[in-house]
Amino acid sequence: MKRGLFNRTSLRDISRKRKRWIDCAPEKDDGKAEPKTLSGVPVRPIYAPDDLPDFDYRERLGFPGEEPFTRGVYHTMYRGRTWTQRQLAGFGPPEETNKRYKFLLDQGATGINGVFDYPTLRGYDSTDAEARADAGRGGVAIDTIEDMRILFEGIPVDRVSTSLVTCQPICNIIVQSMYFANAQARSIPLDRLAGTSQNDFLMETAIAVAPGVLPPEASFKLSCDAIEYCSRRVPRWNPVSFAGYNYREAGCTAVQEAAFTIANAVACAEELIRRGLPVDQFAPRLSFFFSAHNDFFEEVCKYRAARRLWARVMKERFGPREARSMMLRFHVQTAGVSLTAQQPLNNITRAAYQALSAVLGGAQSIHVDAYDEALCVPTELSSLTALRTQQILQSETGVTATIDPLGGSYYVEALTDELEKAMAGVLDEIDRMGGIVEAVRRGWIHQEISNAAYDYQRRIEAGEQVVVGVNAFRIEEEKLPIELFELPETLRIQEKKLERIRKERSETDVRKMLDRVAAACDRGENLMEVMVEAVKARATEGELAGVLKKHYGVWDPPLFA
Amino acid sequence: MAGKVRILIARLGLDAHWRGSIVVARALRDAGMEVIYVGNQRPEAIVKAAVEENVDFVGLSTLSGNHMELVPVVVRLMREAGIPDIPVLLGGTVPPDDVPKLKAIGVDGIFGPGTALKDIVGHIARRA
Repeated sequence: MKRGLFNRTSLRDISRKRKRWIDCAPEKDDGKAEPKTLSGVPVRPIYAPDDLPDFDYRERLGFPGEEPFTRGVYHTMYRGRTWTQRQLAGFGPPEETNKRYKFLLDQGATGINGVFDYPTLRGYDSTDAEARADAGRGGVAIDTIEDMRILFEGIPVDRVSTSLVTCQPICNIIVQSMYFANAQARSIPLDRLAGTSQNDFLMETAIAVAPGVLPPEASFKLSCDAIEYCSRRVPRWNPVSFAGYNYREAGCTAVQEAAFTIANAVACAEELIRRGLPVDQFAPRLSFFFSAHNDFFEEVCKYRAARRLWARVMKERFGPREARSMMLRFHVQTAGVSLTAQQPLNNITRAAYQALSAVLGGAQSIHVDAYDEALCVPTELSSLTALRTQQILQSETGVTATIDPLGGSYYVEALTDELEKAMAGVLDEIDRMGGIVEAVRRGWIHQEISNAAYDYQRRIEAGEQVVVGVNAFRIEEEKLPIELFELPETLRIQEKKLERIRKERSETDVRKMLDRVAAACDRGENLMEVMVEAVKARATEGELAGVLKKHYGVWDPPLFA
Repeated sequence: MAGKVRILIARLGLDAHWRGSIVVARALRDAGMEVIYVGNQRPEAIVKAAVEENVDFVGLSTLSGNHMELVPVVVRLMREAGIPDIPVLLGGTVPPDDVPKLKAIGVDGIFGPGTALKDIVGHIARRA
């Protein structure tokens, strides 16, 4: 049977006419550098059917909710249910962040997206000498299950879905356990909980590195423990969110961002199958997290290409029976790295375009960055404006009326193909190295990201990449037009709580639980069950992470070679 | 200054962002400087490394907002260690109101988001 959407005679004619059109151009743009996408894919002046000579609609696109899911993972997409508006929030002590969550929900947010402070992400108590200066910074401080209780007080966690931005597996296995144990204490069974944990070993070992990170194999093992446990016990929970967003923030290109997440997902799938889980039990709950950066069409095509590639990789390597196992579902955050401290209100416009690319790319949930994020934690006003950006997009622009509205654009389809090919190439390279864990261990991932970050910065400095307000359209001696956020007192509050808890809890019970965790480490068991019990005895995060670091040792990621 | 300029680059506290510090480190190295990259360190360790490595500059990076707590400690410990004259440079998200406060305690250069690499390299070359 003849392949392709267009017949040969028309294609030949179109190519002839294209050539004539080029020859007739009133002026040649010789001398100008050929435009490229942010990832370096060359962009032609116009796209036409002859850019897609073998385009087969059924094979490349199909219909939404059907293989290969290029047009979207669900049959009805936003006509059935719009994306979840999940604004990231977290700062100071849990008492303060709880108020922000309630404020956002009152204003129409449809999910919670909780981010934790640097000490929590690293497995330190707020009072640790290593951590004190960062308590409450970049997220909310969590030391014990008591903090988790306060964080979600008055929030119906059996009805609102919650994303826990735990980032590193060492944090996730403890903090997620606190979330589950707290739900149990509120008499909410685990199978009623809906949400997502980030739990990405690349975050720990390559992306957000700090002193005393676990070695790649150990971090990967903890990540898989959490996935395995949730697959068995918390079926509506997405136990991992491959954090391509953060890879991108660290410097990756769009292609690397998607390829690294897929390589990570492949490694997790292999390990879970090795542990005896059927692929269809866990694969539907693997979830992805992508950036929405400045290159509008490249971002739209990145989401489409990643969906198609994941469906193929899943099918070919793991042979799932259920279509859901092949669906790449993802959350998007607009690119923090694209925000400018200069003329900060411009960031509202940037983030709106970026969010539009996520919607046209079929995202399942979105966070829009606040305009002040290059300077501070978002204020109430800036986070409300970000939420309103989503609401305007959803209810005023009409972009949700039809599914994958850019599908069939010659450019969008050609770029989707190009990006998929490039992503598959990176995936092959990682396969040849022996997989993503090995690629991290060797420092290859670090080097790739570092190179891409340095290239990007040099392009900005050469003026090839315009950043409005920074290397173009500057305002000299600008007076900051916004008020900045003041971080509430955190350390003293956490210190007092910890002091009280240490007096109230049974030290014998805590010691016993820490020993049980250590014993489970020694036996190489899944640590989730014992963690959920340990946090109930009010062991602190620092105590529990201490056991893990002692057992697995720490690693110094090869960042600067 | 004789020989290659030596600069220590450290990230403050538990701040997890490494992109800025690494991009700057690479630019300085490409500009012919000797970069000693120590990653995240406590102030005590940063000052100890600065003394041992006999550096000409100390470059600090943070995007977590911990600068008002940790930078003054680094500056004080450098004074105590007998290296008060080594210029301290700071990069990261520093709100405009904090800039004069940091300059007042002796921070030599503050480079916020959007700073061009050539401006950082140029600053160091002029001071060296």
